[in-house]
Amino acid sequence: MGAIQELSTLENSAAAPEQHASEELEVKAKKFLRGNGANLEVLKDKKLKGQLAVREELYGQSAKAAAKTEKWLMPTDGGYLEPEGLEKTWRIKQESIVREVDLLSSRKAFDIVLPELGPYKLDYTSNGRYMAVAGRRGHLAIIDMKTMALIKEIQVRETVRDVVFLHNELFFAAAQKKYAYIYNRDGTELHCLKEHGPPLKLQFLKNHFLLASTNKFGQLHYQDITTGEMVANFRTGLGRCNVMQVNPCNAVIGLGHNGGQLTMWKPTSGAPLVRMLCHRGPVTAVAFHTGGHLMATAGMDHKIKLWDLRKFETLRTYHGHANALDFSQRGLLAIGMGSFIQIRRDSSGDQDYSLYMTHRMAKGYQIGKVLFQSYEDVLGIGHSNGISSILVPGSGEPNFDSWVANPFENSRQRREKETHALLDKLPPETIMLDPRQIGTVKSSKKKEKPSEKEIEAEVEAAIEAAKNVKLKNKTKGRNKASKRAKKKLEGVVRAKRPFLEHQMEESKKRQRTSQEEVELPKSLQRFVRKKP
Amino acid sequence: MKQMKMTAKHMRVKADTHRKQLRSKAPTVSKKKKKQANDVSRNRRGPRLPSSLRRQLDLLNPKPENSEEVIDSDEADDERTERNDVYEYDEPIPEEESKKNRRFDSVDNLEYELPEDFEDENVSSSSDNDNDEDERAHKAESVSDISEAEAEEDDEERHSRLLQGITGMPSEAFQGKKRKNGVLSELPPESEYNLPNEASDGPITIQDLLDPLHGKPGYSKLRKKMYQLEKGSLTLQAPLPKIEQEKLERKVAYVKTKKEMTKWEQLVKKNREAPTVFFDEDTDVGYSTVGAIASEFEPRTEFEKKINSLVHDPEVVEAYENDGARLLEFNMVSVEDVKERQNRLAKMRSLLFRHETKAKHIKKIKSKTYHRMLKKERLKAASTQVDMDPEAAKELSMKQEFKRAEERMTLKHKNSSKWAKRILKRGMDKQDEATRAAIAEQLHLNTSLTRKMRSMNDGSGSDGSSDPDDDDDDDEDFSGSDGERTSNIINRAKEKTQQVIEEEDEIPKSGVLSLPFMVRGLKKRNEASRAEAERALEEYDAQLRNLEDESGGESLGASSGKRVFGMAMRSHVKANNATESVKYGQDSESEDLEGEEHIDLLCKKNVALQKDVQVDPGILLEESDGGHDTVFKSFEDIVKNPGPKSEYEVAIFASDSFKKMPSEKPVESETKSLQVAADRPQYCEDFKGEDQNSDTDDDEMMVDGILTSGGKIDYELPSQTELIRQAFAGDDVEGEFEKDKMDVLNKENPEPEKPVLLPGWGQWTDIQQKKGMPAWMLEEHDKAKQKRQDALKKRKDAHLKHVIISEKVDKKTEKLLSKSLPFPYTSKEVFEQSIRMPIGPEFNPVASTRVLNRPAVVKKAGVIIKPIQFEEVDPHDREGETAQSKKHPKAEKVKSLDRGRSVGAKSLKKTKPKKR
Repeated sequence: MGAIQELSTLENSAAAPEQHASEELEVKAKKFLRGNGANLEVLKDKKLKGQLAVREELYGQSAKAAAKTEKWLMPTDGGYLEPEGLEKTWRIKQESIVREVDLLSSRKAFDIVLPELGPYKLDYTSNGRYMAVAGRRGHLAIIDMKTMALIKEIQVRETVRDVVFLHNELFFAAAQKKYAYIYNRDGTELHCLKEHGPPLKLQFLKNHFLLASTNKFGQLHYQDITTGEMVANFRTGLGRCNVMQVNPCNAVIGLGHNGGQLTMWKPTSGAPLVRMLCHRGPVTAVAFHTGGHLMATAGMDHKIKLWDLRKFETLRTYHGHANALDFSQRGLLAIGMGSFIQIRRDSSGDQDYSLYMTHRMAKGYQIGKVLFQSYEDVLGIGHSNGISSILVPGSGEPNFDSWVANPFENSRQRREKETHALLDKLPPETIMLDPRQIGTVKSSKKKEKPSEKEIEAEVEAAIEAAKNVKLKNKTKGRNKASKRAKKKLEGVVRAKRPFLEHQMEESKKRQRTSQEEVELPKSLQRFVRKKP
Repeated sequence: MKQMKMTAKHMRVKADTHRKQLRSKAPTVSKKKKKQANDVSRNRRGPRLPSSLRRQLDLLNPKPENSEEVIDSDEADDERTERNDVYEYDEPIPEEESKKNRRFDSVDNLEYELPEDFEDENVSSSSDNDNDEDERAHKAESVSDISEAEAEEDDEERHSRLLQGITGMPSEAFQGKKRKNGVLSELPPESEYNLPNEASDGPITIQDLLDPLHGKPGYSKLRKKMYQLEKGSLTLQAPLPKIEQEKLERKVAYVKTKKEMTKWEQLVKKNREAPTVFFDEDTDVGYSTVGAIASEFEPRTEFEKKINSLVHDPEVVEAYENDGARLLEFNMVSVEDVKERQNRLAKMRSLLFRHETKAKHIKKIKSKTYHRMLKKERLKAASTQVDMDPEAAKELSMKQEFKRAEERMTLKHKNSSKWAKRILKRGMDKQDEATRAAIAEQLHLNTSLTRKMRSMNDGSGSDGSSDPDDDDDDDEDFSGSDGERTSNIINRAKEKTQQVIEEEDEIPKSGVLSLPFMVRGLKKRNEASRAEAERALEEYDAQLRNLEDESGGESLGASSGKRVFGMAMRSHVKANNATESVKYGQDSESEDLEGEEHIDLLCKKNVALQKDVQVDPGILLEESDGGHDTVFKSFEDIVKNPGPKSEYEVAIFASDSFKKMPSEKPVESETKSLQVAADRPQYCEDFKGEDQNSDTDDDEMMVDGILTSGGKIDYELPSQTELIRQAFAGDDVEGEFEKDKMDVLNKENPEPEKPVLLPGWGQWTDIQQKKGMPAWMLEEHDKAKQKRQDALKKRKDAHLKHVIISEKVDKKTEKLLSKSLPFPYTSKEVFEQSIRMPIGPEFNPVASTRVLNRPAVVKKAGVIIKPIQFEEVDPHDREGETAQSKKHPKAEKVKSLDRGRSVGAKSLKKTKPKKR
């Protein structure tokens, strides 16, 4: 008896973690289900009901499988700096972090001092493997961040304002003094994009293969880099604009303007999708969360604001200047101001970004760009005296999906991916505020009832059409003029009929409603308030 | 049951026959009876048979009249026919009428009544049962039957009277006959022991059999059953009209087919509801393994049998199974032998392996020189063979001759090929080294093959001198460098030509060659050859000189370990001579250039400091074409001649100018400060141009940084207006924005126009003016205003003060939405929920992707889809079924694949057993 009890308790103890695991799995699977299934009870069509039920079950299985895959294939959890006792995470210096981490990681923190070639801008490839560096005074370079080897550097002997990688490390675009240029990895100039004017900022929409630029005249250009076609040229009409950031979720471009406004654009509409007044002073920096519904803006009015892009409302406001903002893959917000860097983190999960880390560059350095390296816990900084990178624990996604971005990809994989990306290239019209709308039913703009005039016109058109019908030649006395006239008249009547019927119906309806209204006894009807 | 049925059937048949016999028997039994039957037929009482049947019955029962009373039978017949004709379906003769008759003759008949009764009773004893039966069968008509019986009696009386009247004979004569008959019918009582005579009475009826059972238990039951059967068989109804019949048939058929069809319902439903129907019947390919094939092997030939017997020798098998060692005993081979053999084999194998690896290795070698050497070796071997064997020598020479002749004929190697022509057309100087070498080699081959040679026959003397190639080859093997080797070759060639020139041809004193014209010819040829040799000598000299020059140059630049071309080399030399002090500041031609200089300078100085950082030699090599032993030199080169105005590569990274920041301070120098000073204005300009938006504060900080430490920079503060503009850029942005928003709103929903009256229209006097606008106009205006307000309220940004969300409809985007709900869906929500999950491979695990995207029908190419067949479980045909299932063992298997998979197609393969 005792043994049996023991057994049962053992079983229980074994079952408990199992249950726990299954619950956990279910929670995870829910994430992959992308919302609840439709309520099938409403459906009357049994066949459809059956089909949808089967479908839902398959979805459930798929989600479960995905959750399992995630559990086993993505075992690494992202970590953060965890303070002990009274320690504050933002007091921890880079040196101490570097001392603690492994050798490979410690190599990722570095400073490259290039004081002569002006403020530096930088960009990472989407897999975080390569970094492009652009010094204002004509210095362009590509560095492999894994081996820390310089792949190529060139001096274009011209002002370079921005640099951006195209779909992979083989090509990059630079915004130079007069035009934008595209170079390949070997530093060979491939294209001179004259239509862009003197560009200030470049952004690449990797799913659409569009290169977007803003220029001194406040114009926004989209160019398809696969065909070379200019997709769109828009005038913002809000003056010079050198704050541009693409929303990674829906590929809408956000522009920050001098008037404190922020506009969002897509290549298929000449008017901005959204115009919002974010700051009282000029907007200095914009960043979008990877989730797509969070935006951070910084303005000259000494404010940094977080916005909910679903409601277009401010979530939080922090005080401080910022010349550069960036969200990391896991949602850390880097704020660069002067020679000082702040990293904020949403520790509580309610979008309250509290201070997480700080870093101070050498005095006098002017930070021009901060950018998190994807799949690494590294923040790249482009400043007036070169480029640096610091370690920010918990910034990068710990598990990479080699189908999405592979930091270790070889040339064959790269080629494969390029081909796939080209095949999967999205047309520019797919850019919209809510891309989930694609494929859904068009919201039927409540077409108001056609006005009387329209109805009349319709009736007339119908009558005209009926009159113009050519009658066949008939035989045996049926071709008489009178008969023909009669026939025509019949046609006209027939044409009118639906309209008249419709009218009758409407009048009936109206009567009915009026009757419903007038249900008071006659003696009281006079007291009914007339509707305006 | 069946048996029961059968017996029942049999009985029914029996009853039928019995009835028929009854009828046929009737005349023999009694005349009265016959009469009765006749009357029955006349009166149309009892079962109404169809006329055809009745006629048949009549045929079966020949008329009793024709045998006895021919005369009156005619009449009777006539009468009957008359009756039949006229009253066939008439009501029977009213009883009153007959009664009337009776009323007349009741007295006459009285005296005969008794015997009649008596007789009747007698008769009934024989055929009582029949009558009974009849009566029972017509229970419903029993009442009428009683009256009928009376009527019959009357009829008979009337009949006898009629006969009396006609024939004049006493009625006894007729009755007597009857009596006779009655006597005949008096038989011993029926019982199971005393069966009635068939000849007289016909076959045994059921009644006969039943009677003795009377009173026994179960009799009533049996009787009832019999009665029922009788009744069923007896009530033959008139057939329904054909249409009705068919209708009924159809109805029955419908029910039947419906039942037949409903059995398919489950099957069809299952197949219909299945998301995927599979038809991947696995085809039998036959044996799949060697073992399976081998297991079916049977020895046929003698040899095979023998082998088989040996292999399956029980002793051997046993030995094999028990212990491998015992097998050796059977082998009858000595251990030494085995060992030796093994050794031998091992040796062979190792040799083979070595040979193989060697061959592989050789095959893999791609080096041209190696193959050349190999070829030479082969040639050498051949030549030694030639030396040893005169036959081989002859052959070789013949071959050589043939080749030469061929070459002279075809000129194959004299730049006549397409490839060579193309290359020549492009120009030799544009080709790369390898092509040039290939062309040269070809030409060389040509010359060597077409060179005039002394007769092949006297090869012995000239071998040493005429085979310079061989010597060369030998030398080449030893010679170290390329240049040396070529010079060697040329030298030797020179020597040889000189030798040739100096050498005096001794003119043969005798023979054909001593003939004067031959001598002349020889001389001429000698002269020509000498001239040629001299030319060649000159050429060699020139080549040698060239070669020396080159090697000299190379030795000069050899310290870099790299080859340097053209301009670079020259500038190199100059750079060495150039003084280091160059005034950078003066050279303000291009800022970019200066920047570069400066960087290079810096780099040079930093080199020493950053030795800890590794340098990728590949990159270094790639970086500078102008030899980069010192960056400084190249820099100076550039200073001296700026070269083309394209991008220049900067060697910052290459020379590792990046460093750990805290380790050291940036290095400065006079030159650098100079340069920076020169640069500064431009830089500031840049800043003004580019960084208008940045804080002035920041700019100052920037000045405080490295740049200020680098040198004194005259940084200009932004102008006052600039500052003001920046400071007040955000002035009243809100107001502006609101205005903008109103503009946008007005554009999308224009404000309704105020109602205006045309002066002079609609007004007679000033009365109208006082009244103001007509009410309808105002109303319309109000309505329009209201509408606008509503529209504005509906906007997404209605409650967002600082946001304008465009409501414009993008036509291009519209294309991506569906205009209406796709067919089976009726609600938008359900549809949108159903497409919420992506089904592509990027979003789902592999297995579920496959399931999610499976087509409605999965079928292998070439598989024939058989129609669905239903399997009916029939207990009687179990054997047949099992046989079939044996035939298709796979058909029985039902694979349990994924859920939702229909196995209908599979399980339906079992064919329906045919009923026989």
